[in-house]
Amino acid sequence: MRDNTLKYVLVLPAVMVVFATAIWPLMESARLSATVGRLNRPGSLDQYIGLENYTWAFFEEPAFWNSVWVTGIYTILTVGLTTIFALGLALLLAPGGRLRSGVQTLLILPFAMSPALIGVSFRFMFNPEFGLFDAFFGAVMPPLADVSWLADPTLAFAVCVMADVWGWIPFLTLVLIGGLASIPQDTIEAAQVDGASGWRVFKDVTLPQLAPVLAVVIILKSIFSLKTFDQIFMLTNGGPGTATQTLSHYIYFNGMKYGQIGYAASVAWLMVIPMILLTYLYARFVFRKD
Amino acid sequence: MTGKQRKQIWNAFQLTLILIATFIMLVPIVWIFLAAFKTHVDVYQLKLFFRPTLENFGTVFDDPYRLGEKLYNSTIVALVTVVFAIPIATCAAYSFSRFRLRGETTMLVMILATQFVPAVVIILPFFVMFRDIGLLDTRLGLILVNLAIVMPFAIWMIKGFIDGIPLDTEEAAMVDGSSRIQVIRNIVLPMAAPGLLTAAIFCFIIAWNEFLFALILTNKDAVTLPIGLALFKGEEGDLWNLLSAAGIIIMAPMFVLALIIRKYFVQGMTMGAVR
Repeated sequence: MRDNTLKYVLVLPAVMVVFATAIWPLMESARLSATVGRLNRPGSLDQYIGLENYTWAFFEEPAFWNSVWVTGIYTILTVGLTTIFALGLALLLAPGGRLRSGVQTLLILPFAMSPALIGVSFRFMFNPEFGLFDAFFGAVMPPLADVSWLADPTLAFAVCVMADVWGWIPFLTLVLIGGLASIPQDTIEAAQVDGASGWRVFKDVTLPQLAPVLAVVIILKSIFSLKTFDQIFMLTNGGPGTATQTLSHYIYFNGMKYGQIGYAASVAWLMVIPMILLTYLYARFVFRKD
Repeated sequence: MTGKQRKQIWNAFQLTLILIATFIMLVPIVWIFLAAFKTHVDVYQLKLFFRPTLENFGTVFDDPYRLGEKLYNSTIVALVTVVFAIPIATCAAYSFSRFRLRGETTMLVMILATQFVPAVVIILPFFVMFRDIGLLDTRLGLILVNLAIVMPFAIWMIKGFIDGIPLDTEEAAMVDGSSRIQVIRNIVLPMAAPGLLTAAIFCFIIAWNEFLFALILTNKDAVTLPIGLALFKGEEGDLWNLLSAAGIIIMAPMFVLALIIRKYFVQGMTMGAVR
């Protein structure tokens, strides 16, 4: 076979798989979002009602706005906290040496843990009777001694954020250590020779050169934060009430528990929009490098 | 205070922070490991010292939990997903790496973008379709949708590895009369083998930990390990010792795999965005 034909033959299966498992479901979701779409009512998946599902979400469903709000705050907090802590840890670990490399290796463990399991383990840690973190916070901050973390809307949300940040810091740290390693050492040394303080070196030399990596990290983390489902499902299942109901969880509940798959698809599509924006940004950063 | 002393204090401060961070990182994991070897009673007493037991690991495999079935499902689903994904991805990655294709950038961006589509969007139409054609609660159904999350990773990762293989050996072999297929089989594949293995392990971990698809598509026969965790909710609350034992069965193999590929871990996750 000539190369000219072969090169297309080689990519064909992959393109077909990606089309069937990603592009088709996206299109089909868009179609479903314009139908009545009740799982228990045959024929309703072809009964078109235009944009009614969308207007329903916007104007008739406070629960939708609640989950938008929860997801928004959750994303801002987890992205911000994870990035700050990961940057700090990366700066601490970057110099290398026995201890630091050892800790770097350990960082892989939380990331290999399934998010569902992270949810379970945090539910365990914050159990009011025998949770380790619950006991710890109770000892350090006496007002928190008798609270039941997961029964309180604000605290349950805080636990969700903590679990997410705990799970993601290691990975972002590893990425940032990689980014720090690629900064030419002589620029830092030159600044030090000129008598710049540690903080000045970091602010004026390290940080600007780390900015592209930092941008990629923030975009990537934002995408994953917006999608969060597994941990929330295992940790609080959206509760108490709807205090920790993220968009993914809201879609799951409406589509699978209530069988309103048309409505769920419309909310799902509303969620795709910020994703497209973030993916566009991400792709720009990735391709600028090539 | 002399400069040397200041430096020592600064160093000690850094080490303290590192130790605290490591501690926080390990505590939830260690806690699960300990709980898995505790009896029901010991779990409820926050004990650090206790008489370890292996009983929990037996219980989770017995009726009514039967974790063995879930372990089997998880293994088959993750393994077959990888067996499908890696060859398909390798062909595409080679072509993307070595040739210029019409619409190449568009295709690559699309493939990258599908990675970021929320899983919950993808799963709704699949649920409807699988219900109609009888693929709900089957391992085959789960494997098909798992390809959706694994493929983009695999293509980008393997492309990165093939990009790193120098062209000259391939060109020399072509001059000597080898066909393109022979070149791929005899030169590229052996050289890319470590990269392919890394990508395979990577995809295996992703498929193994996958949660939402399995939650929606399975309910009895094809339930995987992460969904199996929900079994340990008794009437009197969570059975933490059993939950922890199941947790170890889920995470221990992934820890081993992750440590094997740790050098490429970060690169794989960001698909070459950060080098």
